[in-house]
This record gives sequence, structure tokens and C-alpha cells, in this order.
Amino acid sequence: MATGRDVRDIFGLPAGSDATKTAVPKRAKPAAPAKPRIQGVAREVAALYGERPPPVAVYEEKKAYRPKRNTGPAKQWVEERFTNQARSDGLVLRHWRRKDEWEKLVAQQQDGDISMDTSSLEVQPIVSRSDFVKYNVEVDMPTFTDEEYDAHLRSDDWSREETDYLLSLVKDYAYRWPVIWDRYDFQPGGAQGPQEKGDSNALSTMPFAPTKARTVEDLKARFYDISARLMRLRIPEVQMDAEQYQLYETLQKYNPHSERNRKELAAALMNRSMDEVKEEEFLLTELQRINMAASRLDAERDELRARLETPIPNPGNAPGLQSFHTSAGLQQLFNQLVAQEKNKKKAAGPPAPGGRLNLSTTEAAGTPTTNGQAAQQLAANRRTSMAQPPPPTPVRQLSPQAEYRFNVSTHDRLTSGVSFGSDKLLKMRQAKSNVQTQKIAAALAELGISEIISIPTSRVAEVFEQLVSKVGKLLDVRKVREKEEGECRVLEAMKAQKEAKENGMPAVEGSGRGNAGSAAAVKREEVGETPRPEEMEVDGEGEEDADGEADEDEGRSKRGTSEAVSTSTRARKRSASVLSQASTKSTKRARK
Amino acid sequence: MNALNSSTAPAGEYAGDEVSAIVLDPGYNTTRAGFAGEDVPKSVCPTFYGYIDSDSGPQYLFGENAIHNPQANLQIKNPWGADGIVEDWDTATKLWQYAITSRLTGPRERPPIRSSANEQNGSGNRDPDAMDVDVEVAVESTEKPLEDSPLLMTEPGWNPTKAREKAIEIAMEEWGTPAFYLQKTGVLAAFASGKASGIIIDVGASHTSVTPVLDGMVLKKGVQKSPLAGNFVSSQIRLLFKQAQPEIQITPHYLVKSKTAVDAGAPAQAVYRSFDPPPHSSFRHHEEDRVLTEFKESVVEVWPGPQRLSVGPNEEIAKSQPGRPFEMPDGWNQVFGIERFKAAEGLFDASAAQTDAEHPRPKDEHTIPKLVQAALASVDADQRPMLLANIVVTGGSTLLYKFNDRLLAELNAMYPSTRNKIIAPGSIVERKYAAWIGGSILASLGSFHQLWISKKEYEEHGVNIVEKRCR
Repeated sequence: MATGRDVRDIFGLPAGSDATKTAVPKRAKPAAPAKPRIQGVAREVAALYGERPPPVAVYEEKKAYRPKRNTGPAKQWVEERFTNQARSDGLVLRHWRRKDEWEKLVAQQQDGDISMDTSSLEVQPIVSRSDFVKYNVEVDMPTFTDEEYDAHLRSDDWSREETDYLLSLVKDYAYRWPVIWDRYDFQPGGAQGPQEKGDSNALSTMPFAPTKARTVEDLKARFYDISARLMRLRIPEVQMDAEQYQLYETLQKYNPHSERNRKELAAALMNRSMDEVKEEEFLLTELQRINMAASRLDAERDELRARLETPIPNPGNAPGLQSFHTSAGLQQLFNQLVAQEKNKKKAAGPPAPGGRLNLSTTEAAGTPTTNGQAAQQLAANRRTSMAQPPPPTPVRQLSPQAEYRFNVSTHDRLTSGVSFGSDKLLKMRQAKSNVQTQKIAAALAELGISEIISIPTSRVAEVFEQLVSKVGKLLDVRKVREKEEGECRVLEAMKAQKEAKENGMPAVEGSGRGNAGSAAAVKREEVGETPRPEEMEVDGEGEEDADGEADEDEGRSKRGTSEAVSTSTRARKRSASVLSQASTKSTKRARK
Repeated sequence: MNALNSSTAPAGEYAGDEVSAIVLDPGYNTTRAGFAGEDVPKSVCPTFYGYIDSDSGPQYLFGENAIHNPQANLQIKNPWGADGIVEDWDTATKLWQYAITSRLTGPRERPPIRSSANEQNGSGNRDPDAMDVDVEVAVESTEKPLEDSPLLMTEPGWNPTKAREKAIEIAMEEWGTPAFYLQKTGVLAAFASGKASGIIIDVGASHTSVTPVLDGMVLKKGVQKSPLAGNFVSSQIRLLFKQAQPEIQITPHYLVKSKTAVDAGAPAQAVYRSFDPPPHSSFRHHEEDRVLTEFKESVVEVWPGPQRLSVGPNEEIAKSQPGRPFEMPDGWNQVFGIERFKAAEGLFDASAAQTDAEHPRPKDEHTIPKLVQAALASVDADQRPMLLANIVVTGGSTLLYKFNDRLLAELNAMYPSTRNKIIAPGSIVERKYAAWIGGSILASLGSFHQLWISKKEYEEHGVNIVEKRCR
């Protein structure tokens, strides 16, 4: 093996090894500092640095040690004696506080007199604390004088004593009416008793039959009445601001009877049995189901209407005039037309002298009036150009006959690549859904059109496309017809049932729902007659392949009366839509 | 325990401000006492006490150790009456004092100099001249056990005014507490679960109570109680044992000297102790109850529902479930099948309770579902759904296996249209001592300072201040 020495020997270099010694560590050195993996930065970021070391030193993020807590002498605590400012009796309690904090407070409250020895407990001053005074809240209460009471607040049902008692309770329990009612135990001093007997009979029907004469509603009514009267007394109605007036109105409008009824209902709602709850749940889900079916039907109908009534959107025409309403759109159109003009002139002959250059886009776009005119003009141009496609670029103009004869076609746009006409035809046969594709195929087969059209010229393709679109439409119509027929059948069945019932036959389904269904059937009777002939007419075209789907209808009609209820409500709407369908149908047939 | 250390100063709405208050939660079976702000009562001592009527005068024995020691003529008594209210106030006072001093305050050894300044001048004396009076006052009041600590006591929801007045009298006069407050167990149990409103089902030893609470206040009309509770289950077990073939004997631990293992159902082979003179029969009864407590803890199961045990095939299903073995202190043992379901069924279904001549059939309205129903019926209709969404379950007897399942099933059957939710703390301590824990929370709140009834107020207004202030 050739070692370095041998090589040196061959090259005639000196045998000294100092050159290599320096070279080897040099190579190693730059690698060494790059070696330690930088942990603070993501690997990808580190890779961006490349081989050279980053201009700014990247330090590895070390474990963050929390600095040790200040290890001074232990903090001193004091068992502070304090009074609570919310108390009036000066109860002294103790709690532990930090000494520094406490000293501050003491100094503050003793007016800077810290001369006393605060460390000895016997003379420890008592501090006053207000930390929790904010929780000592009092409720606002209406107040009145004796004269005011005599003048405005008298009540046949309430004595002055009881009113005062009520107010004190309201104050004590901070408007918690259930608690107030719970604790309400007015012992009238002497003769006030009998007057409370008046409404005790009415109260015995209450769910919680109290032994007392007053209910929550009575208490509330009295209190709100007092509040409202006092409010009006203090601030005349006209001077109240919105908020006050709202409050005043709420106070005035309080109706103990409706409130009582509401509570009875609430109690009844709560006391329902398990069966009732289950039934309600069931009915609610049923309602939801019906609503969902109805909205789905509506959506389907809307879709169909849209399909049958609106003209076939021409992809070239799609934006319509809409897109030229904005200045940007107009600008674009203008540019397009200028370009077209250019092309035309280039093709037609020698360029117009000078003038064309003057028609710079910026100039024209700058003036709004000309812009608007131009837009109108151009729009008009465009419309005509749609009717008869702009003359093709070839110099020779062919007559339509010749075009037809030589099978010359013009295209707005050519797709790149080569495609077979038969592929195009095949694509037309396919609809979005598999079922629809099969139906189209069946229809075409009935019409005797073979699966492979032998000469798929563009003209054939055109005609075929029309045919397929018609087939599609007819299939849609047939679907609708089947649906309608199913509904008619259901409703007729219901009608028959109802008639049978009216004739004295015992009703088989005597449920409440049956009535609604029969009522709906009557409605259907009024409007339902008109759509039927049209539907029959439609039959003429869809008949051939309708048989296959006939049994589906049977299934639909069995879906139960609930469906019928929902559909019947839309009977009117439906008849209108069917009429419109029928009209489009007939025009189409005429075209055919 | 108390998270307030020097580095985390109370911030925001942390409203704790501890004044070393003592919370006393007396119950029929145990009396709980401890410092407010702690999470477990430090002192839990049995409410049963030993009483020996000797020649040298009556002798009272308090505490777990004393009452289980078979002494001659030892009677076991309980100061609580049958209606869930303290009957024997003198003993109760001694007992409660024992509960507080034995573990919490201890004998008073503090230098008199540190004692309370409440007596000397209520209005915050800052006059250094008046300070020397303090020493004398403190010296003469050293006997009172609670001079430093405000006392929060609990009471059952149906506590009559007389009992409440008696309580404040004891606290103020006999114990010399600087401040006192009385709160209902229902409210405190709700607080312990973090609720201000709810309906509290407390199944204790002597009584089951149902207390509707709204915003921290008991709705008094809705408070229901019944004697169907832990002791009732014990008596049911006794009846079941008596009716069993052959009759099952309960031999308490203290009578058994040694035992040998026997097969299931075989008669016990044990060496028994004899005592001369023997302890009172009430001692034996109490010791038997201890065995029954063990039985309740390890064997008894509540039929989980959704229907009663007696309905349809439930009994068959219960029979087919694997039984649980239990061994008496004397070595007799057996596997209990359906019996373990029957013992507690009476709590929910009065007709399923075991009966005999001395134990008549419990009243229907005393079963737990009926109590809840009655409580809700006497509450405003608007509050009922809210209450049903906050059902707090507490009390030692609710620890019966599957108790909560059954309770929820019964409530759901009664109120199918509301959202019924049971809140039952999972830990045994929290379940048993919920009222105490709630009291501990309440008494350690800074905002509670203004609610205490101070000694001064008591002296001014007399005992009836408790009715005005503790609502």
C-alpha cells in the first residue's frame, strides 16, 4: 500500500511531516465546534446556519433554575388583634399577620405613635380591619312616612303592622322571595286576624297548600304595589328616565293571578308521570321528523322548478351584463374589445394611420362619460356577436351552405390534444348518479339509439346532446309525477276513509291525527283536482319506462298518515308548481 | 392543610381569614369538633357515654376508650332524645366540652396575660392605661375552656328555639366563648359541597333529614325528618337475625376470649369471658351495635333499583347474586344472600321493612323518597327543578353500598321531567363529616366575622338573640 511517505517520495517532496501535521487539525477544528447539538433551536433552523458558525453565538438553553428564595431571617408573624369595621360591638378577634404589614397598619392607625413596645402582647394594640367590609351590603328598601302610608298605601287586605313586617322580612332576606315566604309568620296582634281569611279558600287549591293565608304572590303583589306607588310619589311618571319607567312598569304590571297560574302550570309540568314525559319526547321527535321531511320536499320542489323554468345557462353568456356594472369589469371589456379591433384590423388590411394609437386605453377609461357610452355600445356589440359568432380569422369567407357541405366548424376555443367524437358522446350518456345513468341508457335504448353511434360527427353530437338533455328533463318530470301520484293516492285513501266515517261506519283509526288528515284531504280535494289531468298528460311521455318504478310508489304511500298531514298543508303550493311544470312540458313537446 | 403560606398572599376573592374558631358538630353517634379552616375534624368522639352510678357519686366516662371498656355496672347512654334533639343538656355539655378540650384546646396552660381582651373593653381599647385591668380579668376567667376561640355550632333543621337558646347559653356562660354562631347542618353540608342552594339528604344514625336550602338559608317549611336511618337499619338486621333459622346470635367482641375457625353455618366454638358483676345491658347492646355497624359496612347492600326489591323478578335477581360472607366475633360465619338487600330496603319501601311486635311497620311518609317529595312540595314551585339539580347526599348511613344508585332511581321515577343530580362526595370522611367541613369553611371566611354573635351582644340582648341572628 502506498502511504503518504511513498507519495511524498514519488513527488519528491521533503519527508518533513510538519505540513501534514498542521493540515490535519485544521480540518478537524471547524468540525469540532459544530458537533455539539444545539438544543435551544430547532434542528431545521440549525441546519440553515450551514457549515459556518453563526455570526451570533448560539448558547444552549440550560435548564432554568429558579433562583433560590431569599434566605434571610425567617419572616415574623404576629397574632394580630383586630376589630371588624362592619361590626358595631367591637368584637375583638385574632388572626395571624406578617409583622411588617401589621406594623405598618398599627403605625397608620395610631397616628404615627409607635413609641409603645409592640412586641409584648399585653399592650398589643387592637387594629381595625376593613378587608371584608365590602361584603356587608344592605339592600335598597322603599321608605315612607306615616302620612304617606295613610294617604297612598292603605290596603283593605293589609294592616300597617303586617306591611311593616313584610318590609322587614324583605330587608332581612334581601328580596329572596321563596325564603321570605318560607319564614313569613305574621302573628297579628289582636283584631287583624280575620281579614286574612278571605282568600284562604282560593289558596287551598295551590299545589303546596300552605297553612298561612299569604302566598308568595300575595307578598310580592303587596310589596311591588307599595314600591310602585312610592316611586310615582317620588318621581312623577313624566320625569322618569327610561330605566326607571321600565322598573315602574314592571312593578305595576305584576299580576299575582297570572303568576299563580304560571306556577300551577310549572308544578303540573314537573309532576308529569314517566309515560307523559315519554310521550312528549316521542311527539317531539315525530314533529322534528315531519318538519325535516317537509323541508326536504320543499327543497326538491324548488330545485325542480328552477330546473324547468330557467333557460339553459349558456356558459359563454354566463356573466351577462352583471359583470359590466363595475368599472373594473368595464375596463376589462374595453381592453378585450380593443384587442379584438386590433386583430380585426391586422387581419383586414393595413393598419389605420395614427388614429389607432390615440385610442389608448387609459385615455378612454379616464373619462366616465365615454366610458359609459363605450360600455353600452360594446354591450350591444357583444349581444349581436353572440347571435352570430364573429367572423373567423381565415381570409376566405364561406357561405353557410358551403360550411355545411365541407363540414367546417368554428370554435371559440379549442381544447388542446386530440379527442374522439365517440368519447364525447359517451360522456353525454353519463349522469351524476349511477341510477340516473341507467335510466338514461334505458330511455335511449327504447328510442332505438344504439350504444355506439357509428359516425360521431360534431353535428350528430349536437343533436345527441339535445336529445340527452331532453331525456334528462323527462326523467325528472317522471320522478315528480310518481311522487305526486303517491301523494294523491294517500290523500284519496284518507278521503275515502273520512267519507266512510261520515257515512256512519265506525272509524278504524279514531286518533286525533285522523281528523287533521281528513281535513287536509278536503283541502286537497279543492285544489287537487286540477293537477291530475296534467299529470296524466305527462304520462304519455314517461309511460314507457315508468313501470319499473311503479312499485316504489306503493312503498311511499305506506309511509303513514303523518306524512300526508305534512304534504297536504302544501297542497296549494304544489298545484301551482305542477301547473307551471305542465306548461313547460307542453311547449317542449311542441318543439319536438 | 392551609394553603396560605408566606409566599402566596391572599389575592382577589380568596376570602379566608382564620380567627382560630372552633367548629362543633354534635351528632347522635359521634360529636365532631375541630378548628375552622382545617379539612377534617381533629376530634371525633362518640356521643355515647359511660355512666357508673357508684356509691361515691355518679361517674361519667367519655371517649372511645372509656366506653368500650367492660366495667362493672357500666351503662352506656346517649344525651340525645328520640326526636333528634338533645335531651340531657348537662351531660351533653360535658361531653362536648370533652370533645373540644381533649384534642383541641387542652387544659388551659396559657399565661393569663395572653387571654382575651374582649371582656375588658369591647370597643377596641387603645388606651395603654386601661391595660392593667386586663390581667385581673384574665386571671379570674381561666376556668372557662373556650375563651380564645369563637365557636360555631351546628344544629338539626328542626331544632326548637329552646334548644337553640340553651346552646348559646352553654357556649357563652359555661365555656366563655368570645363569639358564637349556630348554623343548620343542612346549610353547612351544602357549603361543603360548594353549593349555596340545594336539597340536602342527610341519613345519619338516629334520623334521616331532608333540608331544602336556598342561598344558604334553610327553607323551614320544607324540612323533613324521619327515624329511618342507620339505627333503623341496625334494628332491621337484628330482626333478620332473629327470624333466621337457626337464630343468629350476636356476640360482641368483649365477650370472646378466643375462637377457632368453623365452617359456614356451623355453631361457634369459642371461649367466652364472663364478668362479675357484668356491665349494664346497655353496654352489651352498644357493643352489639358495633358488630352490626361492621355488618352494615361489609355486607349490607341497597337494592340499586330501578324498581323496588319486591317488584317483579327483582327478588329472584337479588337471590341469584353472589352473597357476602360475614364472620361474627365468636367465629360463627355465613354467606348472606338476599338478607343483605332486605336490611336496608325499609329505608325506601316501608312495606318491605322487617316487623315484629316491638317494631311496627314504619310509616310510608318516613321513607326517603317520600321525605324528598314532601320537602319539595312545601317549596315554591319555581325552586323545585333547581333543588333537584343539586341533591347533596351526606351522613354516614349513605355509605351503604349502592345507596346513591337507588336514591337516584327513586327520584327519577318520581320526577321524570327534571334533571335530577346527586352530589355525593366520594371520600368517606367528606360524606360523614360534611356538616363539620361546611362549618369549617364558613367559620374561616373573612366575611363571616360580622355574623358572629359576640359576648357583648349576648349580654345586651340575652339568649333570644340567637333567634334573631342565626336564621
